[in-house]
Amino acid sequence: MTASAMQPRDTGKEGTAAMVEETLCAFNSDLYAEVAQWLTIEAQLLDDRLERQWLETMVSRDVSYVMPMRQTTFRTEGYGFLDDMYHLQETYGSLETKVARNETGSAWAEDPPSRFRHFVSNIRAYQRSDGDFGARSALLLYRMRGDQHVPTLISGERRDILQRIDGRLKLLRREILLDHTVIAAENLAIFF
Amino acid sequence: MTDTVLRDDDKGYVERLMRELSDGIDKGSVPASIFGNERVYKQELRQIYGRCWVYMGHESEIPNPGDYVLRKIGEDDFIVTRDANRNVNVMLNACRHRGVQICRTDRGNTHQFRCLYHGWTFGSDGKLLGALMWKQTNGEAAKEDNGLVHAAQVGIHQGLIFATLDASAPPLKEYLGGIGWYLDLIFGLNEHGVEVIGPPQRFVIPADWKSPAENGAGDDFHLATLHRSAITLGAFPVNPIENMKGYHVQAAPGHSLSLSMAMSEDDPGPRFIGFPDELTESFNTSAISEDQLAAARMSRVIVGNVFPNLTFIALPVSEDSNKPPVAAITLRTWQPKGPDHIEVWNWFFAYKNATPEQKQRSYTAGLGTFSMAGLFEMDDSEPWMSVVKTGRSVAAELLDMKFNYQRGLPGLGIATKVESFPGPGVVYTPRYEEGVQRNLYKFYADMMLAPPGEWPDAKVAG
Repeated sequence: MTASAMQPRDTGKEGTAAMVEETLCAFNSDLYAEVAQWLTIEAQLLDDRLERQWLETMVSRDVSYVMPMRQTTFRTEGYGFLDDMYHLQETYGSLETKVARNETGSAWAEDPPSRFRHFVSNIRAYQRSDGDFGARSALLLYRMRGDQHVPTLISGERRDILQRIDGRLKLLRREILLDHTVIAAENLAIFF
Repeated sequence: MTDTVLRDDDKGYVERLMRELSDGIDKGSVPASIFGNERVYKQELRQIYGRCWVYMGHESEIPNPGDYVLRKIGEDDFIVTRDANRNVNVMLNACRHRGVQICRTDRGNTHQFRCLYHGWTFGSDGKLLGALMWKQTNGEAAKEDNGLVHAAQVGIHQGLIFATLDASAPPLKEYLGGIGWYLDLIFGLNEHGVEVIGPPQRFVIPADWKSPAENGAGDDFHLATLHRSAITLGAFPVNPIENMKGYHVQAAPGHSLSLSMAMSEDDPGPRFIGFPDELTESFNTSAISEDQLAAARMSRVIVGNVFPNLTFIALPVSEDSNKPPVAAITLRTWQPKGPDHIEVWNWFFAYKNATPEQKQRSYTAGLGTFSMAGLFEMDDSEPWMSVVKTGRSVAAELLDMKFNYQRGLPGLGIATKVESFPGPGVVYTPRYEEGVQRNLYKFYADMMLAPPGEWPDAKVAG
């Protein structure tokens, strides 16, 4: 288990990381507008707790959705993300299980639910050489529960691969790279 | 930063509260005010975390000379190293010159820890190797007397590294007592043993460490209620009522555990916690007895707590309703960060001779159920967060609120003592009782009241 190398992590599909090239799209391009819109609509669905709708309309059945663990390391050792250790390691099936959990009426971690807001910014869109699209965005997740007066703030970057399936963009891979090593949230009953 | 200063009048208040606990625990009465209590906490840092054996990590995390990880005793940073002679060292992360933190990364490999302030350099065994211009500054003074400060004792059981700051503490084997037998049911099933799957996950929750510790000591009842959503989704293969068959064990003073066991071959559920057959075929008596192997075989869940704050859980789980459950092993410490916060350190383990696919499946299932995003664990912090609020409330103090830990007291409930059990300790069946938790608090009160240098003559709760 080694910390990542000097380069920021590549979100290539398993086994093809070295072979896919990503070309940054101009910010005034149609593709950029489509990706930015997709991310904004996604954020709204999650903020509104429409999780099943999010899963069924925006997530590929082949999705890989991960949040790697991070450690404090020296500069020369890279960004500190671990290759095989995670906070989240989800497939469509496990995401669906979590969505179903919130529907059981006994998912106490989010019932009564928190109030979330996904602040998505610093959006970049990429054309990938295999025909899929890349998206990178900064996320600031604001979370308030009950009568707390101090919010939980979680900050990080999301690196996504979006695939067009039957004309709609769907999430094929998401890597959530947090700015935290120790996470000060009592649970991660959250969709990032 | 927590205020850890202990004042004389605080000691008197804490002693009175601990006597109240000590007098009431055999009747199942626990004062609410011991939870989330700043004055109690300051005493705990000294009497519990400053005296008991604390889990530091697993040998497989520092396999090679020079390997180190940064861990905690109480709130304090310790460097845990494997030195050039392959010994394990546990040393305060502080330079002897001015107390500056010398290790600033979570883990790595080095035989030289160099302080950034004046360049004092220490070896992986803590000895001072050099300091810039030593002759000009300190002349002929011996460097060897200026090494890092070591914990008073270090001990290892089944690869689990423990340390204590108390030279008068009994040796680790004696401290663990009967719970060593039960730890073997998870960690000693073949000659290969286990290894960590990777570094620990860390997250902070607003709770008093005693809440999750007592939960780990044998709270099975909450499976059906707090974790109802996970049961509904098929994350655990045994019906909650059926799952109450098994044993509650007060293995030694302070150390308790709980076994969900099939009572006969006809009983449902997995054997050997749900490890795959190809793996269980390698389980043998090379490190354990026939009785231990038989107990491990009939076990569906093994969950317990080594006092103060090391919880071990081995059970069959699945993170995905469409996938069958498999065995996962998780160890976690509830590391105190003040009277009302803890940092959870969460490790996953696998048998060394498991295949990469088996290890991956076990890890994914364990991570998806017992971690901060886990189907079970997401809900655990909910009750614990509010226990802290109740404990520190003025209302609980003024109204002298006592919590009910009475389940299983003589005449109450259906649990009965088992007179002949292959493993050590006081044993009850079925698991509808709370003696396992009374056992934790009884020892806790004994330690909180023990004079310095004296180790209490403690007994299990019974």
